[in-house]
Amino acid sequence: MTKESNDAKEIKVDYTRLRVPFGPVHPALKEPISLKVTVRKEEILDLDIRLGHVHRGIEALAENRNLIQAIYLVERICGICPHSHTTCFIQAVEEIGGIKPSERALYLRALVFELERIHSHLLILGLMAYEIGFETLFMFCWRVREEVLDLFEEITGNRVHHAMNTIGGVRWDLPPHLVEKVNDSLYKMEKSVKYIGEVFQDKTVEERLCEVGVLSYNEARELCVVGPTARGSGVSMDVRRDYPYAAYSELKDSFSVVLRDGADAYARMGVRIFELFESINLVRTILDELPNGSISMEESVLKLMREIPDGEAVSIVEAPRGELLHFVKTDGKEGLRRLKVRTPTFINVLSLKPMLTGGEIADIPVALASIDPCIGCANRIAVVDEDNKGEVKVISLETLRRRGRKW
Amino acid sequence: MVNSIVTLLATLPIVFFLGLLFEGIDRKVHARMQRRIGPPIIQPFYDFIKLFSKERIVPVTAASGIFTAVPIIAAVASILGAAIPIANLITGTSIVGDLILVLYLLAMSSVMVMIGGSSSGNPYGGIGFSRKMTMIIAYEIPMLISIMSLSFSPCFSLTYYDVVSTQIRMKSLLAFTRLSMAVAAATFLLCIPAATDTVPFDISEAKTEIIHGSLIEYGGPYLALVKLAKAASNFALTFLAVTLFFYLPALSEGYVSLGLVGALCLCLVTALILMLFTVTVPRTVFARLKIGQAFKFHWLIPLTLSMLSVALSIVGL
Repeated sequence: MTKESNDAKEIKVDYTRLRVPFGPVHPALKEPISLKVTVRKEEILDLDIRLGHVHRGIEALAENRNLIQAIYLVERICGICPHSHTTCFIQAVEEIGGIKPSERALYLRALVFELERIHSHLLILGLMAYEIGFETLFMFCWRVREEVLDLFEEITGNRVHHAMNTIGGVRWDLPPHLVEKVNDSLYKMEKSVKYIGEVFQDKTVEERLCEVGVLSYNEARELCVVGPTARGSGVSMDVRRDYPYAAYSELKDSFSVVLRDGADAYARMGVRIFELFESINLVRTILDELPNGSISMEESVLKLMREIPDGEAVSIVEAPRGELLHFVKTDGKEGLRRLKVRTPTFINVLSLKPMLTGGEIADIPVALASIDPCIGCANRIAVVDEDNKGEVKVISLETLRRRGRKW
Repeated sequence: MVNSIVTLLATLPIVFFLGLLFEGIDRKVHARMQRRIGPPIIQPFYDFIKLFSKERIVPVTAASGIFTAVPIIAAVASILGAAIPIANLITGTSIVGDLILVLYLLAMSSVMVMIGGSSSGNPYGGIGFSRKMTMIIAYEIPMLISIMSLSFSPCFSLTYYDVVSTQIRMKSLLAFTRLSMAVAAATFLLCIPAATDTVPFDISEAKTEIIHGSLIEYGGPYLALVKLAKAASNFALTFLAVTLFFYLPALSEGYVSLGLVGALCLCLVTALILMLFTVTVPRTVFARLKIGQAFKFHWLIPLTLSMLSVALSIVGL
């Protein structure tokens, strides 16, 4: 708080500095995050990141529900990577209950996972194009995205919240006629993605993305960034390869981890474009190698849920935005004692400060979009202390950890 | 004299109509190029009417006098700027040096919008002001020089109708008569995207960066007027470029047989095509540049070209 008042004093004296509120409501932001940017003309001098505008208390809600209800709640943490969240949550639950899903179920989980990655990457590529004022590319990316959404609808019955996972397996099988259809769509998408990749090499796009939001290898290691943000800075990390889950241990030769060492927004977008190709190939491999068998357990899900004992487990998956972690503690009575979700955005958003300090105002939306933020997933509690003149305290990761241990 | 003034007044509603119609066509073609359906062509008229029926809001932080006066001045200036060339074509006369007046009026409209942004008391308006200021310096100078270079040639002047009638007399388009004029035309066309605030040069009102900059606090009738000013000045710039450099009716053998209406229609169609190429296509195929990059572009290419056209004019090419 003392730092805050110092800043206010400085601004009073220094008329060349301007404090621009970037968000919580801004056309470049799809979800509310507040960046308080101090600028001198176009140059960014300082940056203050505030989260907490869309805190929904999902972790607390989950503690009042049984495990099956919690799956659907967890799915609603994010609208872009719902399958990642449910997979992560269910893996932890299955670990506690000692349940082993069938091979076919694991492959189908991986299939939807990769389709979701395609969806998410196409979405952010389009948004990035929109941030730099390239509306045509934005429209094109989102038109390709429609293909994936249609596939989701065919496979799982839902375009957005797929509700594919359940304890001990998946809820929908992939009939043979759909395999054909998925292959057709993949062919179309591969062609379109190739075209998108070419358009991203356009001169004006390069001028806006290259050398913007630079996050060096060392900074990336220090801030522990994850996912394409880390891989764009040359940090070789991918949960699918490092700690394989679902069917990825069998598939680990079918994909490679895309690395770029440009460390700027262009490198991060490049990682995403090449991951699209990797994902398309991976989906093809999954379709080819799809084992036969049942997709779920023989017992009913309710029976499975009742048998899950008191216990705790940590599960990680590689969500489209990076490493996603769920800590699950069950109470042995169908319910949850504690659910802790650590989304990739929560880590990546901190890297905005080194990315933007010294940059221009025009770089803010670019750097922000390049980490693919999902603010709704990452929100934490802000406590307003009424007695203390209504000052807002933002609970840091460190305090959160300490309190998390206390609970 | 009275005749000219009456014609000018009669042209004002035509400009209002044509400006918004051109904007509608631009939006439709832009949408089709992006494989969208796009709004109906008369959407800008709907927008205008809707905005006028909304309440007027003046922010507490704004200097209310300037804030409210500025959109009116901008709209009047750009409509006048667009009406003068058309009125001159109809009456077949013009005041000496009225090209300067037209360019002044068009620049006036963008300066006014810029001032409106800075008077709103919003930090984004302030940033929009500083960006627009930089852009005006970047494009206005090459644009002015390219027009000035007309007067360096022996048989041309800065009087609008003189330039048109010279083209009719020579039975040729000005841009193809001399090398210097071709270069001047290229400069003028290169400056149009920046002058009309479209992508890749819409830096002063970048939606995703500074939320429309100067326009941020405007709404209701004020926004309608600002939008009208923009539409009219887009139209004026393309129409000016066509009649100054590519006056197609001059090519037809019997200029008289084409008639005034025919000649005007031909000019409007050419202006529309020119607008599609200088406004719609760039904003479809490019990303927005940064302010430094845009400034560098304008001072590297259009400014050099405009200097070249002056030099060539003096040499007599």
